Amino acid sequence: MSLFGDLLAPRYLIWLLQGFGVTLALSAAVCLAGTILGLALCCLRETGSRVGRTATIAFVSLIRNTPLLVQLFFWYFGAAALMPAGLTAWLNSPHSLPLGPADLRWPAYETLAGFVGLTLYAAAHIAEECRAGLDGFRAAQREAALALGLTGLQVFRHIALPQALRIAWLPMVGQYLNTIKNTSLTMTIGLAELSYASREVETETFLAFQAFGIATLLYVGAVAAVEATGHAVARQNPAGAARR
Amino acid sequence: MNVSVITDNLGYLLAGAWPDGPVGGLMLTLILSAASGLASAVLGLVLGIALAMSGGRTRRVLTLGLGLFRAVPIVMLIFWSYFLLPILFGFAIPEIGTVVAALSLVGGAYLSYAVAAGIESIGRGQWEAGLALGFGRWQVLRVIVLPRALPAMAPSFVNQWTALIKDTSLAYVIGVPELSFVATQVNNRAMVYPAEIFLFVGAVYGCLCLLVDRLAALVARERHLPRAGRA
Amino acid sequence: MRRLLTFALATLLSVGAAQADRLDDIKKAGVLRVAAFDSNPPFGFVDPNTKQIAGLDVDYAKAIADTIGVKLDLRPTNPANRIPLLTSGKVDLVLANFTITDERAKQLDFSIPYFASGQQFLAKKGTLTAPDQLNGLRIGADKGTTNEIVLRRDFPKATVVAFDDTPFAFAALRNGNVQAITQDGPKLVGLLAKVPDKENYEVPAFSISNDYIGVGIPKGETRLREVVNETLRELEAGGKAAAIYDRWFGPDTSQPLPRLFRIGDHS
Repeated sequence: MSLFGDLLAPRYLIWLLQGFGVTLALSAAVCLAGTILGLALCCLRETGSRVGRTATIAFVSLIRNTPLLVQLFFWYFGAAALMPAGLTAWLNSPHSLPLGPADLRWPAYETLAGFVGLTLYAAAHIAEECRAGLDGFRAAQREAALALGLTGLQVFRHIALPQALRIAWLPMVGQYLNTIKNTSLTMTIGLAELSYASREVETETFLAFQAFGIATLLYVGAVAAVEATGHAVARQNPAGAARR
Repeated sequence: MNVSVITDNLGYLLAGAWPDGPVGGLMLTLILSAASGLASAVLGLVLGIALAMSGGRTRRVLTLGLGLFRAVPIVMLIFWSYFLLPILFGFAIPEIGTVVAALSLVGGAYLSYAVAAGIESIGRGQWEAGLALGFGRWQVLRVIVLPRALPAMAPSFVNQWTALIKDTSLAYVIGVPELSFVATQVNNRAMVYPAEIFLFVGAVYGCLCLLVDRLAALVARERHLPRAGRA
Repeated sequence: MRRLLTFALATLLSVGAAQADRLDDIKKAGVLRVAAFDSNPPFGFVDPNTKQIAGLDVDYAKAIADTIGVKLDLRPTNPANRIPLLTSGKVDLVLANFTITDERAKQLDFSIPYFASGQQFLAKKGTLTAPDQLNGLRIGADKGTTNEIVLRRDFPKATVVAFDDTPFAFAALRNGNVQAITQDGPKLVGLLAKVPDKENYEVPAFSISNDYIGVGIPKGETRLREVVNETLRELEAGGKAAAIYDRWFGPDTSQPLPRLFRIGDHS
């Protein structure tokens, strides 16, 4: 009896690759939206009003201290119950927007809930990395910039943020890697990504080791590729990128 | 909202089958977190120092190995350690040991980067000054560099611990009856109250993580350490 | 590269996994290790009073251990790891509401069936009356079950959304994320009995498959399989199988179902 005795039939490999495609697309969308939202949160926290500041701190702390799994459950099961029935029904039914030759289809509710949950989670962590980067930006430099007659927001946008991003770049790449791995949790709310696909293949073939093995390799490959790119970018912008 | 599904099962959620059987639930989550938190700190420190002090090929091999642990989703790592290690090494490791080992390795891999970065952030001048005083490299590390670098790393450690607390929930994949696993059992028995059960579970994890975070902040303030950025 | 790696691991593992006669090992150890569900009432679940795993599957496991004359050691399992537990030798048998399929039979051996059920649906009243409606619906299923496979194969136009557990699938049904959920009939009846607003839901009176449930046994362990089959036949002949069934599905339970299948009806 051997654990890896049989290889997976091609159609199961295709399932896994389709799942991998969903993982990659979802990760990319979440990283993009999470970065924009995260930077906005960071900006609000640094330069916003007292209310904005407190709200941001509370939000970031809430998101960072609860398990992502529970947050996904909330967005999928909880939020649907809290929304007006009409909205839930609309979100659940298929819609499509004809755009020339292609149809832009409204994503399934699973995808929507997964995207929202992962994006908020990534944004809170990215906001925190960005803040850590700003801490590394010396107060003296900020004062010098203010002395030059720049406003607080100008200092933030033109001087502090670029430097903070350079310092926070590698930790942010770390968050992108986490996002790729975190997408695997969306299988619990029925989103058909790579882990979901590996479970499906396992269900049909019972070749658990093959299915999970290939999924693991695909995750490692994706993470390694992003990490290598992140380091390459850091090397091209060396000014303090890796050091504080 | 149905609170009785929580209150009726509170004992099971907090302690599992204990005292009639092995410890489970929140108590097991605490045990797993403490054990893997401690082990990951030690591993992170040792590997981080090795990373910072080594060069050339050793460093590359080490970086690759650590990168691998950071690249595999933890669920997969736990699954593989449980099923493959006994076959490769010919002896069985108990479930709880597997989880602690897998979580410590992942936590250690993450921490080692923070430790290495912390050591490297201490300027060249300090190293050279130490060496000029006639210290060896390891002496400089121990006497001059670490005492300055360690406090700056503290936030990374705290972050890793809160991450570990949340990650212990992944032990469900090999049937370790920690908090989220027993919550799933209760959920399947009650059938119709998943929202109540998982809000409770989320709140418990949230409290634990916040507690660790606040405690660390308190300790940092006591020692007048700067609360530096968290990585 | 992947193939090469898989092959290398395969070679490595097939050496490690070679087994002697498992029945002798069990007798020598004095313990029968069985994987059972801990989250699938009434087949296998944690009893709130004893905090131990109990259920229909567990009763059969006890009977098998008694026949061999050893102690029973239960391990909790879920659909994702019940096969790895068996193939890596961590348990001797799997009794986890295990539907017998040809594809699965390539990986392990099955006993004769000890339970049968049909795949049915649970939906809000009036939404579902006949199988041909399924093709247009979004249907929640449990991940890792044959229900999911059958649905996708026979109703390719239905949108299948798989969840980790039945309660989650049911929560999605309540929220309107799916219009029906599918599971084994007995389990749906048990679920419906616990729903507070049960008058709004129904289990339509049709099933789309007949599933036979068997004991999972490591491949090639002929003597072990014989003992299991013999035990099951004796339980039926002595009336004990009917008693076990009544304990979980009899008229006094919350999910009464007539017993239509007898052990030995189908092999």
